[in-house]
Amino acid sequence: MSEATEMPREHELDTSWMDNMAEWGVSAKPGKRGLTLADIQVGSYGELPKVSDNMTGRPRGSTARPEAYRVGAYQVHTLSEIWLENAEYLYEEALQRQWSSATDIPWHTLKPLPDDVEEAECLLCTFFNEVEFVAGDVPARWIARTTPDYLEARNVLSAQVMDEARHMDVFRKRALANGGGLMRMSGATSGFVGSIDLARDFTEMSTRLHISGEGAVLTMFRMGELFGQNDAEKTMYRLCAQDEARHVAFGVMHLRCLSETAPERREEIECYLDEAEDQLMAGQQNPAGRQSESSEALAVLLGGGIEHYDEGHKKLLVIRRRQLKEYMKRVISAGFADRFENGRSPVPAQYAATA
Amino acid sequence: MADKLSSKAASVDRESKIVDPTRGVPEPKYEWRGLTNEWDVRVIPGPHGLRLGDVNVGSYGEVPDYWEDQTRRPRGSVGRPGIPPLPYSLRSKHELWADCSADLYEEAIQRRWIPATEVPWDSLQTLPDDVEKAVCQMCTELSQCANTELEIITYWQDRMSYGYFEVKQYLATATFDCARQLEALRKRALSNGGGLGIESRGRVNRIILESSGGWTEAVVYLYLLRGTYITRLLTGLLSAAHNEAEAFIYSHMLEDHARHLTYGYDHLKYASTHKDDASLIMQTLLAVGEAHMAAELKEGVVGSAMAIIFGGGIKGARTFGMERYLLLVRDFITDYLTICRELGIDREKTLHPVFKKYLEG
Ligand SMILES: [Fe+2]
Ligand SMILES: [Fe+2]
Repeated sequence: MSEATEMPREHELDTSWMDNMAEWGVSAKPGKRGLTLADIQVGSYGELPKVSDNMTGRPRGSTARPEAYRVGAYQVHTLSEIWLENAEYLYEEALQRQWSSATDIPWHTLKPLPDDVEEAECLLCTFFNEVEFVAGDVPARWIARTTPDYLEARNVLSAQVMDEARHMDVFRKRALANGGGLMRMSGATSGFVGSIDLARDFTEMSTRLHISGEGAVLTMFRMGELFGQNDAEKTMYRLCAQDEARHVAFGVMHLRCLSETAPERREEIECYLDEAEDQLMAGQQNPAGRQSESSEALAVLLGGGIEHYDEGHKKLLVIRRRQLKEYMKRVISAGFADRFENGRSPVPAQYAATA
Repeated sequence: MADKLSSKAASVDRESKIVDPTRGVPEPKYEWRGLTNEWDVRVIPGPHGLRLGDVNVGSYGEVPDYWEDQTRRPRGSVGRPGIPPLPYSLRSKHELWADCSADLYEEAIQRRWIPATEVPWDSLQTLPDDVEKAVCQMCTELSQCANTELEIITYWQDRMSYGYFEVKQYLATATFDCARQLEALRKRALSNGGGLGIESRGRVNRIILESSGGWTEAVVYLYLLRGTYITRLLTGLLSAAHNEAEAFIYSHMLEDHARHLTYGYDHLKYASTHKDDASLIMQTLLAVGEAHMAAELKEGVVGSAMAIIFGGGIKGARTFGMERYLLLVRDFITDYLTICRELGIDREKTLHPVFKKYLEG
């Protein structure tokens, strides 16, 4: 072997990028909950632009290149449009609380149910199999439209997309695991003005999806102990409620943040809430609402069969009452208490009527 | 079955169900009772629990080639006329399908990981400045790749019909994977005395994001072209990991990425065998895409950063570090051509000259 072949070839190395690193010398340290998103909000990396000029998809805080392609036509690029105070926390919690519908539901506890009860459960499962992923489809679309500078909020929405896939799936599995089947769809989420799908503004969408839609479902899931017929169903509702609580919290915290940072939008938000409240009990999207077929099924489940429909119906009223109460609590927490005091909202009267 | 159930429903004594109208409580009509296309389905969990694919039984498992319905009607359920449509524009199976979607969905859930608490952050040790810079630059580059993947998936997801829900569900896991990768890479860059680097010029990100003609076209660029390269990058980074934290991150990213590529390749196979000119379209796209990829490879930031990581610093980067990176690129192009061949896409004859050069070494 000649000496020349033993000499390693020398390559040219462009290291000019090394002189263009962003803020340097950062050492975020893990805390009690590991190294969380909150822990890495250090120096300039924790600074959130009120208006994002990031149109190239770069990570927040990295060095911008003047020649980078402007590929991110981000519709949401103003902080107040999407921000919330506890995004890091909600995201980390979502990671800690993921579950599997294949292995975390005690499916073996399913036992044959009387036909009317199985049918009622299957109708409810059909409803949820249908509507759960509205909360996947729609947040997904908004992730693509939001500047990556608001990474923490986008990551919470990504976790929601994941959660909703699991919800869609757990209800399908339940419908097909106990001698029943899917039933008739509801059409509750469809393409008409005022639906969650078609909102052209993020906050409008979030008000409908997170506050009123998922809020009503959360209250219902929380009461799954009352209508779940076995441990499998009760577990299913409990785990879904845990996820929904995060989704609802996103909406409440976002609305609070918006109302504080963009007070000029308050009246517009009040109008969305007016619309939402009209639909709260009357709309199809609330499975316990007055117009929903699923509320009949729910009453059958709550009573334990059609022969106990009246009894079941009394319990359904308890669910509705709690939905109204929790809705008001959320809207108050979001900073819109006035509407319940100045007569604008019909909800206090509806709530009083259920007493 | 439907008849049997309806007759049961009809036998209910409706007269006794009068309720207080002030409460807005209608008398139960039970119109929904008996309305099913298939009843008596009882899927029993297997050794891995009750998996999404397990419930594809009878008519519930029938996946048609075209899905007319623009509502969220669950597959197999009874429809309802008069529902205003939603903008589901991907309605042909060949536009999105991959047989492995249901399995990948369950696998993603079983293999979830938590950067905050599972990455052994305390294993991080101070690295030489040039090496830390290279690692941080790679975190920046890979973040932008993950961001592109996240944005293109979420752009298409809500256009995919409910009839192919397995794909939507699998893509929901991929969305979450991308978010987690953005998180993990950012955490690594900001936790060891470094910081982020300079953004990518974004040539390949651009061709992926601009592929708005169809999801399949995006998959060609996202997975077949760039994804195949990313596998090699992650494998290289894993083999040169400086500590357990990095090894954990790269190995888990590789696992996630392997699922994404499995879907991507499988979908392209399905598209190319179920749509007449799909392979020819892919060939055209790749001829264009290779040029952009070649230009990005030549820009050299990733090559330089990887060479520094492989070479243990700038000095080693100029010799064996860069040699190793060039081998990595050669392996990528070999993988790429192999997969193209398997998909029936002819790329060998007209392979981009820069790709050829890398291949020849
Ligand atoms: Fe949900
Ligand atoms: Fe939700």
